[in-house]
Amino acid sequence: MKPFRTFIIGVILAFSCNANMALAVCNQSSASAADSDLWNTHGCWQAFFLWSYKAYDQRQSDWNNRGWNDACNVNLEFPKHWNAAYLVTYGLQDNNSFSWHGTADYRALGEAAGSNFHSSLYHDAGDTAGLFGSFTPHIFGPNELTTYCPLYNATSANANPGSRAGDFMHEGWHGWLQKYNWNNGSCGGHRCGTPGACTAKDACDYFYFHGVGAYAFGALYQTDGTANRFHSPNQVQVEFLCDVADYPKSWVPNSVRLAARSDADARASARFINGPGYKCGNPRPW
Amino acid sequence: MKSMTKSALALLPALLLHAGLPAYAHEISPQPPNTITSPGRQPSIIVQELAKRPAPVLSGKGEEAKKNALAFIDWASASTKAQDGMVREMIAGARENADIVMAICDEAFVKQEVDHSRALVALSLIGEAKSQIGMECLAKFISQPLPEKGTFAEGEILEQTALAMLQAKAIDGLAYLRNEKADRLVVEAAAKSPSRIVRAEAIAAYLWNHNYDAKSQEILKSVIQKDEVIFLDRLVKQADEPKESFNRKLATYLKTHPEVAPPNAEKAEPKPKATVGRPPKF
Repeated sequence: MKPFRTFIIGVILAFSCNANMALAVCNQSSASAADSDLWNTHGCWQAFFLWSYKAYDQRQSDWNNRGWNDACNVNLEFPKHWNAAYLVTYGLQDNNSFSWHGTADYRALGEAAGSNFHSSLYHDAGDTAGLFGSFTPHIFGPNELTTYCPLYNATSANANPGSRAGDFMHEGWHGWLQKYNWNNGSCGGHRCGTPGACTAKDACDYFYFHGVGAYAFGALYQTDGTANRFHSPNQVQVEFLCDVADYPKSWVPNSVRLAARSDADARASARFINGPGYKCGNPRPW
Repeated sequence: MKSMTKSALALLPALLLHAGLPAYAHEISPQPPNTITSPGRQPSIIVQELAKRPAPVLSGKGEEAKKNALAFIDWASASTKAQDGMVREMIAGARENADIVMAICDEAFVKQEVDHSRALVALSLIGEAKSQIGMECLAKFISQPLPEKGTFAEGEILEQTALAMLQAKAIDGLAYLRNEKADRLVVEAAAKSPSRIVRAEAIAAYLWNHNYDAKSQEILKSVIQKDEVIFLDRLVKQADEPKESFNRKLATYLKTHPEVAPPNAEKAEPKPKATVGRPPKF
């Protein structure tokens, strides 16, 4: 009997030490109203996720227990990720007179392929509750863009398609800074402490004000090397969120727009050293 | 010897797992994502059908009112920009129905820690209703203390920021009432809310609802924090504002506030090379 017990303990040890079998700790039991509303506009479009997993270079080993094999279950992380990718790919109006930037910019920033916006990258997910996203440069192979629990747990303010996609932009812009060798600060790519008008800690950026139409669609990556034509990660995120809130395609649900505006306005008032950044839209309740 | 046998037995499963299963796994190449759900229709067809979905009735008393209010929140949440007018008209039409307004108010409180985006929808609807009962609900909502403990992320407490964002939405509703009592609450929030997010929204909403007149500027200026006076001039990209108009405002703002001009960005240290080549020959 004793050898059998030892063998069983060994089985448990073997499985618990196997990293590939680690379970995700993010809450995958529900989806926010904004996620569900957007989801209902495509009803789990399979052709899209069979394209987007390649466009975002998502790997089975990273997403296995996050809905890779249950890709139509909106409660899980992989489906929530591609729901956000769907918003980026189809959800913006690209209005020359009103939008900050266009789908061509936001797609190139979020997607994996190397371009004028960043070197190639891949998307994975992490189980940390204290981070939204991270960008990790790798010496060999593509860089790593990780999104974490607060972008997926329905209870979190950022667990909606706009905010999640906004983080693709934010982290993608760290990729831009890395590609062109810009120093945006030594605290995770941001300025340390709570400088100037910023109220966050170790997460502050400058806002580089520019007019509407200053960048042709597809030209967001451009800079003249001065503050006159430059962007920071939080700024790109705010501009994307404002475009979702104010100039989406006609079918984008209001819950998605409301959540995007709320995130943009909160970020614009709290994350900039020379803030506040722009406020998007009127403060009419609906 | 006995302990050696014991160790060997304990290690056997691990050895088998690492020697056997991974070898098998290597033979299977990664598979694309999958589902057991059968393929549905094209989104282009789905969105056309959704746009035709009729709004639910927003009336009734007691339990019926509650049921109807929840169904209306579902519909409004999924509604589109083109349906904004209908949402506004319907909620305004129900402003005197205490059961409806209270049911939406209850949903905002119930969902604030469960589903942030649904709570935002509910608060937006209460604000748009412009009702006395709604005002009491929103006043109660902004009086909730912000959590001082919780999940710390990127320099903020997530639960605190989440509630502040919802309170900012409640402030929009209070300011939209445009009456003395609600205005007092908005000005108080602009001055004293512990969250910059709420203070900023209170300033923006108060000014917008008073057409940015000189009097409202003065009232706010006399109470808000000194380092937040710049929020009185904050650039607002109004809905559907032509770019020429916004760009003119931006030029004026940058001229009036030269202190907001950021410094030029700096180049980082040169990147380390991936390899420094072979070591010198011995």
